Amino acid sequence: MPEIGPLVDFPWLLERVDMLALRTAEHVWLTAIAVGAGFAISFGLALLIRRLPIAYGPITAAASILYAIPSLALFALLVPIIGRSVLTVEIALVGYTLLILVHNIVAGFRSVPAEVIDAADALGYTAWGRLWRVELPLALPIIVAGLRIATVTTIGLVTVAALIAPWGLGFLITDGFRRFFPTLYLTGAALSVALAMIADALFVALERRVTPWTRPAEPPTTPERATAAG
Amino acid sequence: MPDSRGADKTAATLELRGVTKRYGRGATATTAVDDLSFTVPAGMICALVGPSGSGKTTTLRMINRLIEPTSGEIVLDGQDVMHDDPVELRRRIGYVIQQVGLLPHLTVGENVAVVPRLLRWERERIAARVDELLALVGLDPARHRQRYPVELSGGERQRVGVARALAADPPLLLMDEPFGAVDPIRRERLQNELLRLQQRLAKTIVFVTHDIDEAIKMGDLIAVLRQGGRLAQFGPPAEVLANPASDFVARFVGADRGLKRLSLERVRDLQLGTPVTARPGDDAAAARARVLDDPFPYLLLVDAEDRPIGWVDQDDIGAEGTLGADMAVPMSPFLSPHTTLRDALSLLLGEAVMAGIVVDERERLLGLVSVEQIAERLRTPVANA
Repeated sequence: MPEIGPLVDFPWLLERVDMLALRTAEHVWLTAIAVGAGFAISFGLALLIRRLPIAYGPITAAASILYAIPSLALFALLVPIIGRSVLTVEIALVGYTLLILVHNIVAGFRSVPAEVIDAADALGYTAWGRLWRVELPLALPIIVAGLRIATVTTIGLVTVAALIAPWGLGFLITDGFRRFFPTLYLTGAALSVALAMIADALFVALERRVTPWTRPAEPPTTPERATAAG
Repeated sequence: MPDSRGADKTAATLELRGVTKRYGRGATATTAVDDLSFTVPAGMICALVGPSGSGKTTTLRMINRLIEPTSGEIVLDGQDVMHDDPVELRRRIGYVIQQVGLLPHLTVGENVAVVPRLLRWERERIAARVDELLALVGLDPARHRQRYPVELSGGERQRVGVARALAADPPLLLMDEPFGAVDPIRRERLQNELLRLQQRLAKTIVFVTHDIDEAIKMGDLIAVLRQGGRLAQFGPPAEVLANPASDFVARFVGADRGLKRLSLERVRDLQLGTPVTARPGDDAAAARARVLDDPFPYLLLVDAEDRPIGWVDQDDIGAEGTLGADMAVPMSPFLSPHTTLRDALSLLLGEAVMAGIVVDERERLLGLVSVEQIAERLRTPVANA
């Protein structure tokens, strides 16, 4: 720690706004790719489970084992195989999203009431149309809740990933420690916390956005007057 | 929209020929529907009625191929539905299920528009059709179009369900206990609405119910099913009531089938009584003279549109001054010309009144119906029995 001066050197930071923006962008990108790829894989697995419910047990068991591996250990295990590349980091990150996402996507589809599915069939939706236009919209609240947990978790893991590859806000922390420079590692910590909270807030807003039908715009209509007149 | 029965030609004849549904194979096989054959002529309501396990819902769901029959033919306007693409077939058949099954994430307007959209109608045509149908089932399009199902009452949801089923003007409607989830008073009202709608639309309707009273009221024809999905009797309600084909049917129809015959007649079939009426502001003495001349000791106060306000006891009418709306005492619920005599009787007895006021759709006075008049119908045998 420097002997003189405040803990955080703001003028130093102000001269390096571009670098901070770059690190933040890297962090967002690593997270987005991991969650995006994890979602694509999980959605495919969930569709498989929807067709073949028996696959649910094995798939979640495998995802649970993956999830149980400590993150730093997984990064370390992958390095000898793939090297220190973006791919190493992303494979590990994607692995951690699977359990949450598969679980929530399946739970989302299972939350669609049987009579709604029945009504959709009777109306003449094709199997594909029913999936996209009836089941998916109704499953969205639970799916978005899963994306929210997965994203916030991944933002945290990307910070750890800086230990094996020099990207993202986590690199500010590891680099700051290496150089005994509090301005750097405190800024890295503050920005990753802020990023996680912003992502969380955005998903809360999205969760509300995708379910307009659960919140009446106006108070419910008054009960009809009961008369025997037809 | 045509307003006379039969003017709308979009109704189909439905014929079931030896329709059978078996589940499982060999020794464990169970028969849900057993060699069912009957014909519903175009424009008629056929009520499928029977105890649980009699295969009525299975039968209904085979008609639009939500369930595939094991054997037999289902013929819609001369064409075997088994030759159609099931998805395309379902878009041509309206379907109303017990829990209504509105899609909760779509607004009322979007729910009604589902089938027209699947059929890729023009946007303007869909919008016009949605408004037309909402108005038809008694909902204000402007007020209800943008609402979500969660914002509606049970009765409103039911109406939206019917509007949705009618959206693409299907020649056949399937209804699976459509009024199963609403309370008795609202059910009676929805039943009457459907019957009134049917007078205009003249669709072919297959209506599943476990309630023999509902079957008698709604059906032009009744198919009584028994356990194992066998047809116990098929015919008009009057015939089923008068000549049950078996002990099973007699028991199912009930010991009170005499009383049930009242369900076959409606208030409009009676000669309505004419009450003495007056309007607020009329001369009290003149009104009193008129009501004293009448055997019925009450005067009915009506407004300028002939809508009943309430009863006034002849003893409460003064010898001078004018009549005021505040003199009227509250009335029993109104009857509609479409109310069955059975419903009218239970309503009058329930309210402990001797006469009910019959009003038209806009609540204008049509006349009076008395308990005595209904009792008189019980004593005379049913004409076509």
